[in-house]
Amino acid sequence: MTSEALPTVFIVDDDRGMRQAIQDLVESVGLRAESFASGEEFLRKEHNSRPSCLVLDVRLPQMSGLDFQQRLVDTGMQIPVIFITAHGDIPMSVRALKSGAVEFLTKPFRDQDLLDAIQQALQRDRSAHEQQAEVHNLQQRYGSLTAREQEVMTLVVSGMLNKQIAGEIGASEPTVKIHRGNVMRKMEAGSVADLVRMADKLKLSPRK
Amino acid sequence: MTNEDVQKTLAELSRDLQESNARLEEGQRVAHVGHWEWDLETDVVVWSDETYRIFGLSAQERPMDLATVRSMVHPEDRESLYRGVDENLLAGVRPDAEFRIVRPNGEVRTVHSVTSSRWSPMPGDAKRDASGRPYKLFGTVQDVTDRKRAEEALQEISRNLLESKAWLEEAQRVAHVGYWVWDLQTNRVIWSDETYRIFGLTPQEGLIDLDKVREMIHPDDREAVFRTAGEAVRSGARADCEHRLFRPNGEMRIVHSLGDLKKDSSGRPYQIFGTTQDITERKRAEEALQRSQFYLSEGQRLAHIGSWAAKDLGVRWSDDLGIYWSDEVYKIFALDPQNGPPNLEQYLAAVHPDDRASMAETVRVMHEQRIGCDVTHRIVRPDGEVRHVRCVGVPVFEDGVFKAFHGTTIDVTQHERLTQELRRERAYLAEAQGLAHIGSWATNFATRQNFHLSDETYRIHGFDPRQGPPGLERFWATLHPEDEPVVRATLENAVRAGTDYDIRDFRIRRADDGQIRFLRTIGHRNPVGEIGEYVGITMDITELKRAEEERERLRQLEADLAHINRVNMMGELAAALAHEIRQPIAASVTSANACLRWLARDPPDLERARAAASRIEQDGNRAADVINRLRSFYKKGTPPERGIVDLKDIIREMTALLRKEAVRHSIKIHSELDEDIPDVLADRVQLRQVFMNLMLNAIEAMKDIGGKLTISSRLASEGQVMVSIGDTGVGLPAENTGRIFDAFHTTKPQGTGMGLAITRSIVEAHGGRVWATANSGTGATFHFTLPAKAEEHA
Repeated sequence: MTSEALPTVFIVDDDRGMRQAIQDLVESVGLRAESFASGEEFLRKEHNSRPSCLVLDVRLPQMSGLDFQQRLVDTGMQIPVIFITAHGDIPMSVRALKSGAVEFLTKPFRDQDLLDAIQQALQRDRSAHEQQAEVHNLQQRYGSLTAREQEVMTLVVSGMLNKQIAGEIGASEPTVKIHRGNVMRKMEAGSVADLVRMADKLKLSPRK
Repeated sequence: MTNEDVQKTLAELSRDLQESNARLEEGQRVAHVGHWEWDLETDVVVWSDETYRIFGLSAQERPMDLATVRSMVHPEDRESLYRGVDENLLAGVRPDAEFRIVRPNGEVRTVHSVTSSRWSPMPGDAKRDASGRPYKLFGTVQDVTDRKRAEEALQEISRNLLESKAWLEEAQRVAHVGYWVWDLQTNRVIWSDETYRIFGLTPQEGLIDLDKVREMIHPDDREAVFRTAGEAVRSGARADCEHRLFRPNGEMRIVHSLGDLKKDSSGRPYQIFGTTQDITERKRAEEALQRSQFYLSEGQRLAHIGSWAAKDLGVRWSDDLGIYWSDEVYKIFALDPQNGPPNLEQYLAAVHPDDRASMAETVRVMHEQRIGCDVTHRIVRPDGEVRHVRCVGVPVFEDGVFKAFHGTTIDVTQHERLTQELRRERAYLAEAQGLAHIGSWATNFATRQNFHLSDETYRIHGFDPRQGPPGLERFWATLHPEDEPVVRATLENAVRAGTDYDIRDFRIRRADDGQIRFLRTIGHRNPVGEIGEYVGITMDITELKRAEEERERLRQLEADLAHINRVNMMGELAAALAHEIRQPIAASVTSANACLRWLARDPPDLERARAAASRIEQDGNRAADVINRLRSFYKKGTPPERGIVDLKDIIREMTALLRKEAVRHSIKIHSELDEDIPDVLADRVQLRQVFMNLMLNAIEAMKDIGGKLTISSRLASEGQVMVSIGDTGVGLPAENTGRIFDAFHTTKPQGTGMGLAITRSIVEAHGGRVWATANSGTGATFHFTLPAKAEEHA
């Protein structure tokens, strides 16, 4: 796991005054902020994986905020979204929240409401980011296993005994023991239970 | 004297006496005179032989008695005869009587009896009694029958002569023929009474000489008359001439005179006897006849009517068909009169092939049954032209014997074409009436006579035109009971006053299917007709009415929709406006928060705080701009297309446009337009909108109570035209009168609050002013001014 970087708040609003005001407000509480006039402009910029969130205006010139959010979901870009709107209605906010929006705020909003939402979004992004980092680490460890070891690991987390595994892969029990010891070491697993949890996170499908 | 002598003398005397008696007898016989003796005492009557003969008896020795004589007197004369005798005897007058007797054979004779004045049979022997009365009468009786007859015949002749003369006079008078005699020696002229009258003179008035006659003859004829007379004298031929004359009173007469020369034994003419007849009337009649004959032939020519006659129609061969064709018939058939009238075969050849058979049949029936005809058929002229001809013929009988056919032939082509044209026109009219559901009629309501009812009129009321006129009462019977009194009253009032009427909307129950229909009927009094005579139309307006109702419903719906649209549009506008304004407000609120946070830092970041405050200002201005942009929408938003506008035009236009809406709410629109107001320079469309807003406002204010909308225009001071639109409605709100022109300010549940705001913005954009005042009575008046065109150019 890497050390935590400075969180960043991205702002997309076609109204320049609004954009600047929000960026200034975010910066006044010591957060980094970047603002864009449109969704396309935002997508054109390279993003690193620092914890971040997106403050998105619902009514945008080309693509509406709601449609833009959907596109982010579709492309696997997992970034928490806070919607702001000058004239929101209930169906619109329901749709936004169902698509995973953190908050739906109507302009003009209380500054604290926005800042709370931002904190909440960053927290959500941070934990999502940690989870992602752990899986990444496990995947690296899992990659260091030989094919035989990966096979054994799958069978181990399925709850098979060494003898059963030996029968399964057509090897001697002692050989299975050696593979198993390598798996536990390489995966840095303290126990079989540890290994099972890791396999779960790696989404390995246990053999039945 | 000796005895012998005496004897001899006696014998001679006796002989003489006998001779004398015989002569007397003979004389009596020849003269038909008898004598009688009447003994008044014994009433014995002694008759002579002739007396017996006169009485139709043979001579008798025995004397007659008075009773017998009396019985032979004609009963009618008997009484008067004997009374007369008695009276005469008493008076001592000699009885003298004429009386009739009846002979035994019944023959009636008239006799004249004279009684001797001496009262005795012998002269000197007065046979009187002591009292002096005669006791014996002697008299004669003469048969005067023949003389009497001759006298009567003479009287008859002279009476006849007198009558003849009178008749001659009368005949002259009646025939206007007078005679004259001209004495050639003296040149004197004798005239009959009628001649005088013909010349206009009183009969026997003065002496007529030739110079006077000459003077009275028409100057143009004078010479000819006397030349004719001169020739007659020379040649002895009859003079014969017609000439004119002037009566003393100036009247002109035409006479015909004939004169015959009379010559004496030596052959020398001494006299002309002549007649003069007044032929003025005959002459005039002749002229009139000639004229009427001329008119007749001219009339035939003009009317294309020819006449014809035929003894025989030629169905059977006959030598003498006796056909006569007048010139006009030849003209109608375009045949040459030189060739004479055609025979039946030739005639039928001229008939149109399609009509030939029926025409041949007609002629055959006429010929066989001796009956007339009246047929219209076509003929083909030699040049191929088809004409329509009407042929009317009648048989002529004299004393029940058929003589000939007489008839007329009329060229009715023009008439026939007109008839066909008329028939076509009628068909078109009927079709049009059927399509439009309009029937026409002509009726006398006073006499309840229908002169004309078009088929559609029948159908509208549900009657079958083929079943003949149903009569006015049955038309009445179709009226809806609720509408009948009004319709009747309207009609009766109109008929009484002799005015036109228009009953716009009433119901009937159609006679055939019982459907309720809505009708309108318009009647115009026939100004040349009798009292109560009207021509008019009746139309079925049921469909029209339904369509009207449907249209009204749609219009209402449309109006409602338009209003909803307007409300929706305003909602949209308000939403857009809210978004536009919310944006800068939200930005400034956020910036203000940021600003506060920069200031709350330790140490405060004044630089960032100032930047935030600066953004707040910008956003505030931005919000103001949005509002300004909206407010100046009419000023800058749509560039006005200004032109010269006559306000009167627009007012008339808008009045017409909103009239229906006004009527719907029982509102009268009244304009008081100053004809002399100058034109204005304005955007016509925007100006219409101003009128529309203010007039609709006025209507809105009165829509539940009705009232009057008044539009006036006049020239206000400083070259401003002022228009005022007043209503008698609910009036201005008690409070906030000044705010009524503000946007979104409305007192009406359905109002948008934009009407007056837009009105103000348009008027002000045109350089005018708009304001409202409360009326002294009810309602309010909105005024606006616009600069007059001259002002704009100045």
